[in-house]
Amino acid sequence: MIDVAAQVMWDWSQWAAPLSERWWQETLCSVLVGVACGVLGCFVVLRRMALIGDALSHAVLPGVVIAFMLTGSTGIAGLFLGALIAGITTALLIRFVSQHSRTKEDSAIGIVFTAFFALGVILISSMGRGTHFDLKCFLFGDPLAVGRQDLIMMSVVAPIVILTIVALYHPLRLASFDPTVAAAMGMSVAKLHYLLMGLLSATVVAGLKTTGVVLVVAMVITPASAAYQLANRLWSMLLLSAAFGAVAAAVGMSVAFVTNSPTGPAMVLVATLIFALTMIFSPRHGLAMQAVRRWRAARHFHSEDVLKSVYNLSEQPGALCAVEDVARRTGLSVGRVGRLAAELKGRQLLDETEGQLRLTEAGRRQAIEMVRSHRLWETYLADRARIEADEIHAAAERLEHAHELADEIAQTLGHPSHDPHGEVIPPPESRGPNP
Amino acid sequence: MKPDAMATVAAEAGGPHAGAPPVSVRGLTVSYGDRPVLRSVSLDVPARQVVGVVGPNGAGKSTLFRAILGLIPADSGTVRLFGAPVEEGRARVAYVPQTEAVDWDFPVTVFDVVLMGRYPRLGLWGRPRAADRRAAAEALERVGILEYKNRHIRQLSGGQQQRVFLARALCQEADLLLLDEPFGGVDAATERAIFDLIDRLASDGKTLIVINHDLSVLDRFDLLVLLNQQVIAFGPPAQVATEENMRRTYGGRLTLLDRAEAALRERTTP
Repeated sequence: MIDVAAQVMWDWSQWAAPLSERWWQETLCSVLVGVACGVLGCFVVLRRMALIGDALSHAVLPGVVIAFMLTGSTGIAGLFLGALIAGITTALLIRFVSQHSRTKEDSAIGIVFTAFFALGVILISSMGRGTHFDLKCFLFGDPLAVGRQDLIMMSVVAPIVILTIVALYHPLRLASFDPTVAAAMGMSVAKLHYLLMGLLSATVVAGLKTTGVVLVVAMVITPASAAYQLANRLWSMLLLSAAFGAVAAAVGMSVAFVTNSPTGPAMVLVATLIFALTMIFSPRHGLAMQAVRRWRAARHFHSEDVLKSVYNLSEQPGALCAVEDVARRTGLSVGRVGRLAAELKGRQLLDETEGQLRLTEAGRRQAIEMVRSHRLWETYLADRARIEADEIHAAAERLEHAHELADEIAQTLGHPSHDPHGEVIPPPESRGPNP
Repeated sequence: MKPDAMATVAAEAGGPHAGAPPVSVRGLTVSYGDRPVLRSVSLDVPARQVVGVVGPNGAGKSTLFRAILGLIPADSGTVRLFGAPVEEGRARVAYVPQTEAVDWDFPVTVFDVVLMGRYPRLGLWGRPRAADRRAAAEALERVGILEYKNRHIRQLSGGQQQRVFLARALCQEADLLLLDEPFGGVDAATERAIFDLIDRLASDGKTLIVINHDLSVLDRFDLLVLLNQQVIAFGPPAQVATEENMRRTYGGRLTLLDRAEAALRERTTP
């Protein structure tokens, strides 16, 4: 640990510090990459193209390497052209393989992009030791490799991406939501698809040293997926995704900068953290809200069970029964029944004195509702759903909580008076004493 | 737009083909790979009619729609819309896909979806204006779900979801509507409401072609197409929906043609 800290300290003094001009340049560049990836990522996620996004980013490697071999420099224009050619070749090869063999498209994508990537790695290894081509920087991104040239490139590409998406917002939304209808309306859906792919390739290449090719796909799909958890409109998804992408890129870059580690992994981990948070805390689909909803539903069902048990255990209206008996009958713990009873008492459905429970008049009415619902459901399950006799009680225990449907079932069944076990089904307006 | 104004536009759009049938299919053959789905289909759908298309699964009903819309290449045969080639005629056609094919998690509201119906008028670079929003709201009003316009499409019942896509088609102000199973997964009340809407559209001068699975409502259509790869029969329901025709449409026996195709496939594929 001390060694690591010492290393960080050493790097800190050796290299530029946060808020320095160098740091600004690199952070600005990565924010632009994050925003462009986040915006394009929304369409990649919605159109289920995550795999092809991954393929495009990996496949640009040999193009970049060959361009470097031919020009002998890491000049961004040459690399850009090389990557573009590699990207187009990949797309065409994927189509060729999936059309002219039994291979399905996802496998074709996998075959082609791994082959391209492997070719790129071998080409790099074949170069002499003395060449200025840092493999690690292109694979995983390097904060110190990001120069003024990359910032200029990104300042051109990111606005083009954003302006294109804004200008084509409506057609892109239609083509992504309903490609068949878009085509039926005369839209050239394939052209829009290749436009998106082209923008994605350009972004990946321009941000090559910022993110590296291996993990850049995470900057495309992870912020967009996080935004997808929260947004109900496409424009809000785009804004959120851009913001998440920018934050992940800036924070990741700063962490990588300070610790002198690759940028790609740092950015991806920040993006993943954001995604995990949305997955847990999304108000609509989040795990936390689901747990709260389940907990509330369980409490609601259990308190109805308690009411019904007190009703069934009381010999006559207003009789007392013990918390322990209710617990035994409902299968809940004594403590749980006590807490539910206290809550029911607050709602004036139940009186509780020293572990003895008694229904109030309102509580009694609700309990009868439950009994009526249970017996009607049993009748319905036996008559209409043809469920076996020994299963109907358990099924009705669950369904009885849907007591708002009781009148409808009664009507469907022709207002039966007894359930399959021969028990009396209380009439709907039964408000009098138990017969 | 007033109905008479719309009629003028329609006539202008029709130009020299003003009297041509909305859909005219001649000898259309379509196959997926080496499996033929439609064989030599010919149809002339007259204007202002409600046409039902019935047939078993795999009979090529949806394929017929896709071919009419120019979404799949035909092996042979031609399709003309209002007397013009598909590319020119498609602006007057609205298509309502099966709701099963819809991505219900897509981040769009009801209003967003209906507004998509204005795309053919806006083109690639156009943006919806106040008039387009008004048209979308009117379409929602007509199908009776205006109050849900700001809901996400997931937050609707099956019948309401179906109406969203009908509203989008209305919003297109097309003269020909192709509905792919509009009665799938809807309750009886919605089915009635959709039929009422179809009747109103027909009396407004629209032509509707409806793929339909429910054989109990065949008499609600003006004309019926019995389809099983070929057109088995085409005409008014009373004449067409005979026991003999239905048996030929839904009968499971392989025809000689099917057997020939299978034999050919065996020879050409390893």
